[in-house]
Amino acid sequence: MNIVLIILKWLFHILVFPGFLFTLCAALLLAGIDRKLVARMQNRVGPPLLQPAYDLLKLFGKEIIIPRQANKKAFLSAPAVGLASLLVTSLLLPFSASFVAVSGVADVIVVLYLLTIPAVAIIVGAASSASPFAGVGLSREMVAVMAYELPLTIVLVTVCRKAGLMMDESGMTFSLATVMQYQAEHGAMITKLSMIPAALAMLFIIPCEVGAHPFDIAEAETEICEGTLAEYSGLPLAFYELAHYVKMFILTSLFCVLFLGGFTTGVVVVDLILRLIFCVVVTFLCITVPHAVCARFKVEQVFKFYWTWVLGLALVSLLLVWLGL
Amino acid sequence: MLRKLIDESAAKSPWIYHINAGSCNGCDIELVSVLTPRYDAERCGFKLTGSPRHADIVVVSGPITVQTRDRVVRTLSQVPEPKVVVALGSCPRSGNVFKGSYSIDGPLDKYCHVDVSVAGCTPKPEAIIAGLAKAAEILKEKRKEMH
Repeated sequence: MNIVLIILKWLFHILVFPGFLFTLCAALLLAGIDRKLVARMQNRVGPPLLQPAYDLLKLFGKEIIIPRQANKKAFLSAPAVGLASLLVTSLLLPFSASFVAVSGVADVIVVLYLLTIPAVAIIVGAASSASPFAGVGLSREMVAVMAYELPLTIVLVTVCRKAGLMMDESGMTFSLATVMQYQAEHGAMITKLSMIPAALAMLFIIPCEVGAHPFDIAEAETEICEGTLAEYSGLPLAFYELAHYVKMFILTSLFCVLFLGGFTTGVVVVDLILRLIFCVVVTFLCITVPHAVCARFKVEQVFKFYWTWVLGLALVSLLLVWLGL
Repeated sequence: MLRKLIDESAAKSPWIYHINAGSCNGCDIELVSVLTPRYDAERCGFKLTGSPRHADIVVVSGPITVQTRDRVVRTLSQVPEPKVVVALGSCPRSGNVFKGSYSIDGPLDKYCHVDVSVAGCTPKPEAIIAGLAKAAEILKEKRKEMH
């Protein structure tokens, strides 16, 4: 009887909340809000809030074209793998210190790896589609991955060290639940002076990781015909679009866990609404505003920006935390 | 249920791909102006895509020159079903001032079925939006015929 209950609880976690269904709905809503806000900032009316859902449903009904020279298996499985790894990540992110679907001693490392898989899936899918545009796109995607991956790792290490100094004898923790616990006891990370540069760095990392507008060098539709997605149509394209939206939600959610974790009440529903509000705010700051204001960067500009300014911010934070501030 | 939702969405999210078949750039500029904040076609879900594989509506402007003819045919065949072809301006429907030139091989309906034709040299943005809205309706009908 007990085992059945545990299995049902697991299925609920994976399929409904906080896994599959909830993540999809939240991601679609977030993407809709983002598009609406961009439109309002440009003094437009903008698409309806459900526009991302319409886009996806329409793509479900389109013909799937597979190029003759493409590697069919890799071409079709890459989008599914990318989306699946993101949905697994959603299980690992805690909503409060007490509520988390899957918890481990080192889930920060798991999250770091899982967040790399969608980018790798895009690269594999593009490489197997036998298109020169996709070839250019995938090389740009690799540059983007190299640009943001190092600062992201350092930000995560900084947060882990900060929480670990208080919560763990070894001075280091790799558990997101412990990070939340620390913030519940000592106030949110963003209120600590030494963590503000890391938070800023994370805000810059999110749009590049998501592939949002000023940093969408891999999918530059005006230069290289959507780049990595050039040959995709129908259902696989819908999977990529969905992965894009889910990534937006997961990364803003990760930002909330790392830096805004203290503002929780313990009641799951209230925490959930708070989390969604925080996600919208973070999305507005790091995705909507750059989208409405900036033009697309060049490839080398993105690389230089991330390896000087963003890496610098992350390192300053790391140094301050290691000095015990 | 899901099928009905998909049919409804077909008209609400038409993505546009634009082919310039030897156009003088007048219609192309007007098409871009449709997507600017002043006319904001995105409020109906219109979005300009960079790849014909993502497109629902293919907008062809220009009098189909001999040089672009094969490219137009090839690009149109790469668009997944259901798709709608819109002829933008007077050139693709008649040749306009270029009619009779040795270097053009129009009109467009020699090569594919034209669903919507927006006349004018150049058509007003309002006319283009009306044409695209019509195309979105046809898209929905075509989607319904697919099953």
